[in-house]
Amino acid sequence: MKHGIYVRFTFILLIVGFMIAVQYNTVQKPESRDTRDIWEIRQELSAERQLHSDLLSKIRAVNETITTYENLQSDSPAQALNETLLTLRKKAGLTIVTSPGLELTIEPSLEAIALGKNITSISPDLLARLLNEINRFNGNDVSIDRKRIINSSPIRDINGLTTVNSLNIQTPPFKIRIGTDTKEDAELLYSHLQSSMIADDFYIDNLNLIIGNPQGQISIPAYDQPIKNNYLKNASKGD
Amino acid sequence: MWLPLLGLILGITLGLLTDIQIPSEYENYLSIAVLAALDTLFGGIRAQLQHIYDDKVFVSGFFFNITLAAGLAFLGVHLGVDLYLAAIFAFGVRLFQNIAVIRRILLTRWTERKGTID
Repeated sequence: MKHGIYVRFTFILLIVGFMIAVQYNTVQKPESRDTRDIWEIRQELSAERQLHSDLLSKIRAVNETITTYENLQSDSPAQALNETLLTLRKKAGLTIVTSPGLELTIEPSLEAIALGKNITSISPDLLARLLNEINRFNGNDVSIDRKRIINSSPIRDINGLTTVNSLNIQTPPFKIRIGTDTKEDAELLYSHLQSSMIADDFYIDNLNLIIGNPQGQISIPAYDQPIKNNYLKNASKGD
Repeated sequence: MWLPLLGLILGITLGLLTDIQIPSEYENYLSIAVLAALDTLFGGIRAQLQHIYDDKVFVSGFFFNITLAAGLAFLGVHLGVDLYLAAIFAFGVRLFQNIAVIRRILLTRWTERKGTID
């Protein structure tokens, strides 16, 4: 009889202990508190809205492709496929692009020339930083010293020489060409680059960043090297 | 004697190790359930000491009190009346009474034992 009571008390105490521990967990370790203020939330909301509208436009584009396929299915599927292939090649950076844009010139600063300093190649970090700035403001197609930047383009230091796509870029001066969707985008990018701190960063390295005026037509060379895709495989039929 | 304590420790360890957290809106229910459980527990201990312990009363009281307290809190939330305060008050008062009775019984026993030794 006595033993039975202990077992029951043990069971009840087990439940009580568990409940207390859960309560303790909840009170002591609350999930990370939301400390964002209204502006941060608004910013995030606007970012999400932007994403939403981007996704919608992507869906529309894909739907258009589907419609093209359906329309052309009876006529010539090859043509539709070719069109898609062309779009993809353009997206991947394998074609010459002529679009609105602007041209940047990087040259040694006047002080460096006057003081006879050694003009060194631009550092990969600085170049990557510039590229990030450009990407932030819709610079779609970029070529650095006539080397087209694609998604997998490496910018790195090889034996003290800065390379893009594993090709040396010459010591300044050289040109960077940026293509944008519209002239407005080019102007926006122009004003952004004018106001950003990136020119100061160049100046520290004894370089001058000259931002050319937005142009209606600018030609950006195609990526001309083979693309290595070690991790891509042909999908089997029906996938 | 030590078996119930072991149960308590095991329960706490289990709760802490599983790291379960309940949503903050249900926090009230759990706290009131804990209170109800403690009340029943001390009621059980008192009954045991007074030799009026009944298995059925204890076990059914445990679950029924917890359900009633949580249900009252739930009802209170939906009616806009803080009914959980009633439960906290009732359980709180009973908890103190039960503990007071347990203390008296233990004190009496202790004094009696001391008297017999002397």
